[in-house]
Order: sequence, then structure tokens, then C-alpha cells
Amino acid sequence: MNDAYDALKQDDIVNGPKFQVSRESIRAFCEASLDFNPLHWDDEYMKSSFGRTRFGGIIMHGMTNFGLITRMLTDWLYPLGGVHRRLETRWKTPVRPGDVIRPSARITGKKRTQRSRWVTLEIEVKNQRGETVAVGEAMAEFPPQGR
Amino acid sequence: MPESFETDFWKDAERRKVWDDIVPGEPRKTIPYTLTLEAIQKYCRAVGDLHPLYFDEAYAKATPWGGLIAPPSIHILLMFSCTPADDWMRSPGTINAGQSWSYNIPARPGDTITLAARALDKFIKKDRLFVIHDNVFFNQNAQVICSGRGWTIRPI
Repeated sequence: MNDAYDALKQDDIVNGPKFQVSRESIRAFCEASLDFNPLHWDDEYMKSSFGRTRFGGIIMHGMTNFGLITRMLTDWLYPLGGVHRRLETRWKTPVRPGDVIRPSARITGKKRTQRSRWVTLEIEVKNQRGETVAVGEAMAEFPPQGR
Repeated sequence: MPESFETDFWKDAERRKVWDDIVPGEPRKTIPYTLTLEAIQKYCRAVGDLHPLYFDEAYAKATPWGGLIAPPSIHILLMFSCTPADDWMRSPGTINAGQSWSYNIPARPGDTITLAARALDKFIKKDRLFVIHDNVFFNQNAQVICSGRGWTIRPI
């Protein structure tokens, strides 16, 4: 079942679906994650400045990027018998209501270890203007006996 | 949402540690949380993830996972479920600068989840106050579900 691993190549691309961000989607994430930080719902609060940063309005949770990247990776891995093992992310640009974001991944390497087989990936999330809103790295395992 | 969960993050603001009070290495207070299927599915819907491993019991039973599971990123919910209202992660204006997480086994509906958490480091960079926190989530059998670090910029 894990012939899928052998077929994977450096620079293979994985694309996730587009995600439409709205005040409602941000509110739904507040309710689902229990993260009710006013950054994500309080327009008055968001008119203030945050040190050197001024957002000017509510922003999407950075962790929504994280959830969307995870969804892309698991949708890709489950049918291949792979296991999502690690994700590291950094946020580059705030995401606001009205934005449309889409994650993608590129295979950067394959590695056989003493007991297993691994793929490393470079991650990017872009908005509808082509701006990078999040970057990261991921690691997936393809156990020799399948999962 | 747990009945006792306080969604007004301002309410307990005065009781929370500010950057100066946070001692790297000191454990954070945490609380056990029973993960429900309803909470898993609510989270999944919020990120548009309707995979049958999270929704279709018959499908999930026939997979190597042997039953319904939560997606790996469920720790996003667990972080707030397993910490009390005066935890400094809830301080209004806390900005998430990045995260890294490693996954061992999936969380499942009905699991009683516990969290071991602490600040690991704090520093000033480019005029901003940073704290790095590290976290390990366990199930009721003391198995590691996932572990991770986060970088936050603290409100002033």
C-alpha cells in the first residue's frame, strides 16, 4: 500500500481548497476553538495600536491557517497511507474578512530512517492578491507496514 | 462549549500574568477536559474539514484508525479547553507569531485530555515582548497525543 511513497518526488505540489474568510467564519472559529481574543471580534478594540502594529479592524485567527494547512495535508495523506507528523508555521500577513486564502505544499525531501520513511514539505498560504500570509514546514511519515 | 467557559476575555484580565510575571520553566495551571464528538465536529466545520474520519462512524471503523478520531489540529481547541480563565494565553491582545506541533496518536471522542504546559523562554526582540510556551497533551492512558511550542507577542 505504501508504493505511494516511492512515487512521491521532490517538488511535487499539494494544493488545498480555497477558503473564504468572513466575519461569520471568524466568529465560527471563535466558537469552535474557544479563542475569543478581541483581536477576532471587537472592532472598537482593533482601532487601537499594538506597539508598532495597527490592524485597523478584526483579523482572522492565525490558527485558522494552521487548521487549513492540516486539512490539506491529511486529505492528501490519508488515501496514501501516510501520517501527518509535524507542522511548523509563521504568520506573515494578517488575514481579514473578505480575503480568500489557499494553502499549498511542496515536497522538499524524502528520508529513510532506521524504522520508517519520511517526507518533508514547505508550506505556504496565499491570499487572493498573491500575498503570502503564512509559511511553514511539515513532515509526514509513511510507515513501511502501512498504518 | 463547556458551560463554565468565559468568552469575555476582559473579565479576568487583572488576574492574569503579564510578561514581567511569567517565569520560564514554571508550570501553567491546567484542567482536564473531556473531548466530545460535538466539539470535534464543530471545530472541523469551522475549517471546512468534513472528512468522514471525523463524521462517519461506519467509515472510520473500517479504516486502520478503527473509529472516529479528531483531526491533528484539534490542539487549537484543547489549548483553551485545558486552561483556566486566568491563563495568560487569554490576555486580550496576545498575538500568535507562530507554532510548531508534533503528532503522535490522534485524540478521540470521549478522551479525557490533560495538558502539561509552561512558558519555556521570554525575550525582547524588535521592541516586542515575546514568550515561548511549550505544551504536551495526553489522553486518559497517559499516551502523548501531541506536543508543541508557540511564540506569542505579549500585550503591553
